[in-house]
Amino acid sequence: MAASEIPNTSPPLTPENAEKNLQPFFVLRTGKSDRKSTGKTRTKSDIFQLPSTCKSEKMERKRADEEHDDNKFQRLHMEAFAFVWSKIESAVKDILRKISTRVFDDINGWVQESFNEIRSCGTPVFVDATRFHPIVTETIKKQLFTGLVCTKNIEHVDDILTFEELSLHLKSHGCHVANLSFLDFSAKNGIGGCLRSLLRQFLAVTIDAADISILASWFSEERNNDNPVVIIIDGLERCCGSVLSDFVLMLSEWAIKIPIILIMGVATTLDTPRNILPSNALQKLRLFKFMLESPAERMDAIVEAVFVKQRFFFSVGHKVAIFLRNYFLRQDGTLTAFIRALKIACVEHFSEEPLSYVINALLAEEDGQGLWHVQDASLPKSVLKYAFTLPSYDRTKRFKESVETLAHGLLELKRSQISWSKVTLCLYEAGKYHKISMLDLLCEALDPSSYTSRADGHHKNGFIYQAVCKVRDLPAASLCRLLEKWERLTLDINEIHDKVKELQSLMNFESRKCLNHDLMNISKKNASRRHLNIESDPKPLNERSAELMECMIRDYMLPIECLPFHEIVCFKNVEKLRSALIGDPRRIIQVDLLESYKFLHCSCCRLSNNMIVPSMHDTSIMYTLAQEHGDLINLHDWYQSFKATFQNSARKIHKLRQSPLTKKRKDITDESQSKSEVSLQARFCKAVIELQITGLLRMPTKRRPDYVQRVAFGL
Amino acid sequence: METNDCDGEEFGFSRNYFLAKELGGSAKKSTRKLSDIDLVDEQDLRAAVCSIETKHEKEIMALLHSYKSLYSKWVFQLRCGFGLLMYGFGSKKALLEDFASTALTEYTVLVVNGYLQSVNIKQVGLALAEALWDLIKTKRRTPSKSQPKDQLPFNSRSIDDLLAFLDGKHMEEDDCIIYVVIHNIDGPGLRDSETQQYLARIASCSHIRVIASIDHVNAPLLWDMKMVHTQFNWWWHHVPMFASYKIEGMFFPLILAHSGTSQSAKTAALVLQSLTPNAQSVFKVLAEYQLSHPDEEGMVLSNLYTICRERFLVSSQVTLNSHLTEFKDHELVKTRRHSDGQDGLYIPLNKEALEKVLLDIGQ
Repeated sequence: MAASEIPNTSPPLTPENAEKNLQPFFVLRTGKSDRKSTGKTRTKSDIFQLPSTCKSEKMERKRADEEHDDNKFQRLHMEAFAFVWSKIESAVKDILRKISTRVFDDINGWVQESFNEIRSCGTPVFVDATRFHPIVTETIKKQLFTGLVCTKNIEHVDDILTFEELSLHLKSHGCHVANLSFLDFSAKNGIGGCLRSLLRQFLAVTIDAADISILASWFSEERNNDNPVVIIIDGLERCCGSVLSDFVLMLSEWAIKIPIILIMGVATTLDTPRNILPSNALQKLRLFKFMLESPAERMDAIVEAVFVKQRFFFSVGHKVAIFLRNYFLRQDGTLTAFIRALKIACVEHFSEEPLSYVINALLAEEDGQGLWHVQDASLPKSVLKYAFTLPSYDRTKRFKESVETLAHGLLELKRSQISWSKVTLCLYEAGKYHKISMLDLLCEALDPSSYTSRADGHHKNGFIYQAVCKVRDLPAASLCRLLEKWERLTLDINEIHDKVKELQSLMNFESRKCLNHDLMNISKKNASRRHLNIESDPKPLNERSAELMECMIRDYMLPIECLPFHEIVCFKNVEKLRSALIGDPRRIIQVDLLESYKFLHCSCCRLSNNMIVPSMHDTSIMYTLAQEHGDLINLHDWYQSFKATFQNSARKIHKLRQSPLTKKRKDITDESQSKSEVSLQARFCKAVIELQITGLLRMPTKRRPDYVQRVAFGL
Repeated sequence: METNDCDGEEFGFSRNYFLAKELGGSAKKSTRKLSDIDLVDEQDLRAAVCSIETKHEKEIMALLHSYKSLYSKWVFQLRCGFGLLMYGFGSKKALLEDFASTALTEYTVLVVNGYLQSVNIKQVGLALAEALWDLIKTKRRTPSKSQPKDQLPFNSRSIDDLLAFLDGKHMEEDDCIIYVVIHNIDGPGLRDSETQQYLARIASCSHIRVIASIDHVNAPLLWDMKMVHTQFNWWWHHVPMFASYKIEGMFFPLILAHSGTSQSAKTAALVLQSLTPNAQSVFKVLAEYQLSHPDEEGMVLSNLYTICRERFLVSSQVTLNSHLTEFKDHELVKTRRHSDGQDGLYIPLNKEALEKVLLDIGQ
């Protein structure tokens, strides 16, 4: 169809535009020329200016000033975000690296051992005397050392980072490492695809006719051949079996010349190679197994580092925490998605909350002096005024509304948050004995309502209650360890620290007493009795520890949402997070169509009360009509009812013509009456095309030329 | 609580599906044909489609205007490393281009029209690499350093090399970003998984940010978690526009045009006129038989042969077969197996169209 057929309604389609619309791609603008005109450029696409917004020069200047302020604030917020997020991100990376270090070290040890073993032969790696056929001995010679790393993830996305880290770890120990993903093992590219990728990574060249001999000659160079060659393949489950098996067979042929060690990432079951590889390829693998920590363990570590240790002063509200937990547990199960959700929350907070950028100052300053300074310099009156309109401030509205009050409030917030995190960590240490996860604990610790009910003494369930109960039941040795941990954690809170010390000394005293008692009676009593003594004695100590825990919770674990000015550092808008993270086009596009008047805010369709009125968007009418059909829609019937929509309402309105209320609709009625068959059919066709673009319809097939098929049923 | 909600939702969904199925069963009685509609001439229809007035034009403008206030937030999100994914009913082409040309004034912006079949992803990669190279040259302002050291020109490099260049560390990332607007990233030209993988890899490059729109309800199925979370890094935005899909829908067939009697009859007549008179007469025999036996499933070959032989149209089975092959090649005749196992020949046109054809070739 020629571009000239496009009508010239909005957006205006100049020939130039029309040409661009038909180009696969084009450069809309280049950055270099427009540098100077920042912010004020009014371009040809200001077609969306409403006609009424004709501006005087004064207005223009005012707007420019506002824009300047906006830019300044956006920059401040951007910097604050970048600062906080870089800290969070590096903390997360550190934690993940730390968690995997042990396994990585094991893997590295195994790689070096295997390499030495390969190097030590020419001779078979091991001679199995029980084998009868020489061919098998031959196979053993060509076996590849293969480490299966079980990631315990169902979804492969979390492994990407893990294997990148592993790769870095091995490289730092001198190995040559290449990472291959399932995409390199596609049936379409065949074995050439993975070879090309290998050569790219080892030799940094792209060669069309990839050949393993190139790799062999690269390895035989003197500077390369002292170190093992490791190939990491992640997402084994998604690799094409035949390509992988060819790859394995090829590598085994070259096993003596290039001492390649394979590391394969498998999700949950170590049987994967057996499932996807044929036996001849499987024979070439000499398998070893390694286990990574489970996602839940990693999750707890991340939550602890990011939310509880509170080095960043960016926090989330209770509802957001619940959403994040459910998103992790029910929807996605991947850390990557969780961290991304956290980043979205962070961006949303820093772009929405006018005062969020003071977090930088909070992070930088210990005493708050600098905080005042920063605020003085950059805090316009309107923003300061805003701070005192925050809902959380209402309760304490008795100070002067000044920068100092705000700074003081923020420092209080910071202090309170530090105690909150210490107590939460203490609680987590206790909860570990009851296998309470950090994520669950966090959700409860952030809940203002459960805090108040706990304070009233009504709260007799939940994870916090369980953790406290557990303290009561702990055996002496565990209690002793717990107190040691508490002692370290509460260093900054003197009052609590003293009490913990007191308990510790009491404990020491008790155990010494027991010991003395034992020594005295050692000739009379046997060892098992001694054990019993310690077990039965420290009951009151457990009770006292639990009481201390309760006291800590009551006095120091104030959820952030109970504190004044918390909005500045705490992200609470769960709906925004949800909509940014989880688009639901299948439902939402249908809602758009069925309730179009809600979005268009037009006066003509609003009164329709879910009835079809001819003023509605044609596609909306058609989709609403389609709801009355089954899974197949007879095109003839559909068209007739579409047509009837206009005719019926024309008739109805004709009857009511006298009524002043419907005067407005008169024009529409006349218009629709005059609609010719052609235009109705054209509108029908166009609506069908639009529904086809949204994917809500399947077009007629040869078998069913008169029907279209509905795709979505219900919202 | 929430689990129950979930179950309820799922139950509702399946219930709706079966209700619709059931409704479909009862609606089967409606066997009205598309051709029962008094279809207008295709040319008129096309002209009319092009001149349809947009309803609620004012409201659509207001809607667009309301999104303008979000532009600064969108820029913020882009700068934080997210890709923007716009969805909601209506063409978002104008919105995306307005955003790109008013809010991203400092940057290079490349627009990809994903609704076209002809998009070639390698070409896009090439254009991006060239744009980035231009940008780096301008920023450095030191032409002596400007040549890529012993590198091939971009157009002879592989797509992996191009991606490596786009992802390379050339300058401070904030300074050197190219924004890619992709209209209909779920469009027909980009819908295959290989292209989506390349798009995802492009999107994950450090010098690239993507702003894309989707229209299809199942578009998210194009991406796996790696693509969504680590490469595209989508930030979803619901921006219903209700603007008509004028350009996006340009290449879709009009449902009331293609199966129109006039159209198919015209095509059939054209084909027939290019055949020999004898062939035309054989077709006529078949057509007349079909018109006089509307309930039969098709004419048996032996029957057709007998009649044609009687009328001296063909002299042997071989000649008839060659005519039939010709018809079949042009989809003028099809075979259908009778209930008794014999093959029946029929013309895949309805009564009116057939009459029209006979009239046309009779002239």
